[in-house]
Amino acid sequence: MSEEVVQCQGVTRVYADDAVPVHALRGVDFAVHKGDWVSLAGPSGSGKSTLLHIIGGLDRPNDGSVSVDGEDLGPLSEAQLSDLRLRKIGFVFQAYNLIPVLTAVENVEFIMQLQGVGASERRDRALEILDRLGLDDIGDRRPGELSGGQQQRVAVARAVVTDPVLLLADEPSANLDTATTKELLELLRNINENHGVTIVTATHDPMVMGYAKRPVNLRDGAIESDAGATAPSPDA
Amino acid sequence: MKLRLLVQLGWRNLWRHKRRNGILLGGITFAVASVVLANSFIRGMQVQMADNAVDLMNGHVKILAPGYLDDPGIAQSFEVAQDWQPDALDGITPDMVAGWASRVRVPAVIMSERETRGIQLVGIDPASENISFVGKLAVEGEGLADAADRRVIVGAGLAEQIETLVGRRIVLITQGADGRNREAGYRVAGIYRTDSSSLEKIFVFTGRDTVQNLLETNVVTELSVRVTEERFGPPLLQRLANVFSGLDVMTWQELDPTAAAMTAIIDVAILVYFFIMMGALSFGLVNSLVTAVMERTREMGMMRAIGMRPRSVLLQVVLESTLIMGAGIAGGVLLGVLVYLPIADGVDLAAFDEALSTFGLSNVLVPQLIAQDVILVVVLSLILGFVASASPAVRCMKMGPLEAMRR
Repeated sequence: MSEEVVQCQGVTRVYADDAVPVHALRGVDFAVHKGDWVSLAGPSGSGKSTLLHIIGGLDRPNDGSVSVDGEDLGPLSEAQLSDLRLRKIGFVFQAYNLIPVLTAVENVEFIMQLQGVGASERRDRALEILDRLGLDDIGDRRPGELSGGQQQRVAVARAVVTDPVLLLADEPSANLDTATTKELLELLRNINENHGVTIVTATHDPMVMGYAKRPVNLRDGAIESDAGATAPSPDA
Repeated sequence: MKLRLLVQLGWRNLWRHKRRNGILLGGITFAVASVVLANSFIRGMQVQMADNAVDLMNGHVKILAPGYLDDPGIAQSFEVAQDWQPDALDGITPDMVAGWASRVRVPAVIMSERETRGIQLVGIDPASENISFVGKLAVEGEGLADAADRRVIVGAGLAEQIETLVGRRIVLITQGADGRNREAGYRVAGIYRTDSSSLEKIFVFTGRDTVQNLLETNVVTELSVRVTEERFGPPLLQRLANVFSGLDVMTWQELDPTAAAMTAIIDVAILVYFFIMMGALSFGLVNSLVTAVMERTREMGMMRAIGMRPRSVLLQVVLESTLIMGAGIAGGVLLGVLVYLPIADGVDLAAFDEALSTFGLSNVLVPQLIAQDVILVVVLSLILGFVASASPAVRCMKMGPLEAMRR
């Protein structure tokens, strides 16, 4: 059995803000293995983004447990969750991915700055990843000077530059045209296959689902189908 | 390293909204400059009030016979040795003492051939009066030559009232210690002018020995000592109280409680003015910071999502506020100093003569820009910046990353 990067057991999330409670997730059991590319799919309200956010420590379940790289997220404080995200998880969001006042290379360096990586090593690694992702010519441009596709690719560069155990992408292709989406997905595939980065995406986009190794469909807060479902690990 | 990152982010964020932050920066600069300048004027008034009170023949410390203040006459007097000097006292060095003067001050009546007025007759040694306003008088005619000079100088206001002129004779009548009146005729050597017309009408000066001769005594009614710095006053007071036990040894604040109260109020006035000006400004600062934070809520949520700690987000907002406040303070202090320099020698406020003299001030107000006041403005402004940024910063910190990104 391959190593589990994400382990969710009985994850339940109920939004009780409105008069009628909304059950976003209903006792989801779910695991992601090292090297997987899981695509969480499903209609709006199916719970795919909620599950992604809970895996990323951005939201907390009402019930159940989640661990990432063997670390149980339940007891962690907000600051500890921030540290976990910083050390272990890369994020690519639908929009507002980059810091507008920093150049592309500075955006890539940002996480390393938070990690306390030295200036020269930081710059070298940022330039190297931009070069590897074919973005070496836009390093000194600010996000406002980049196209949507370029911004998403810079966000991917920032997400993987610190070699995270897990890359989470929430609707990464939502604002992109088909050609740019394809470029982005090729990039993610390259990162997944050649660099062994585990990826979980939440998407509506069939193209993204097509690139994923393991499509997982959610409906009404539960997993409807999981192409790569495996028996739980004996030590889990 | 992280602080450097936050400073870099804060600095660049300030340039995102050049106009808005430029207006805010201008407001802070103007407010700080006006506080610095106003403080220099207020402090100048304070220094002038204190100086005038000390100049008004009080000195920093004055020795009087008990009861003199209630019944100022030659009966309440004391003797001082001719060679007495305060800087020979234990613990008092010559550099602490600016000078001292003994005087005979008694109520008297001055008569010209036309008018009679009640006055204060002051017998002085002109050589010692560099410690009071008497030494700085602008005199038409001649000043007094020495303590034995038998001529008088009168104020322009009094001269006008009794219709006398330089060279004319007047008669002074005063009461001796025995209760009998003494009178003698004197020639007017000069007519002095001051910024205060009331002074001109009260004081008539002649030689100290002349008054003593008139009263057939060798005593004085007061001994004033002026120190070079205010802080030397208390130790001197202590020493003089030991030496002149049995006499009243008083500070200028005790002798002129109104002026002392005014100078004390000014310390508070400086703080009040600061909080009015900067307090009003802080609303603008808070508004601007809240707007800046609200505009960037999603961005800050994203930064939290990728691993920035809540505390760092708080620090970033505070840093941005501090940066703009710091720039405004630096600009304000610079502007304040630039405006202050051309007026450092004084501003002529002759148009407000009457009002100023009520407060013991002269027509020329010399602003005093002192480091302590500038530091106070800088420190308080920075604290205000911190306080103003607290609300949006805490609000930002408390918001979860997901909640922030959804806004």
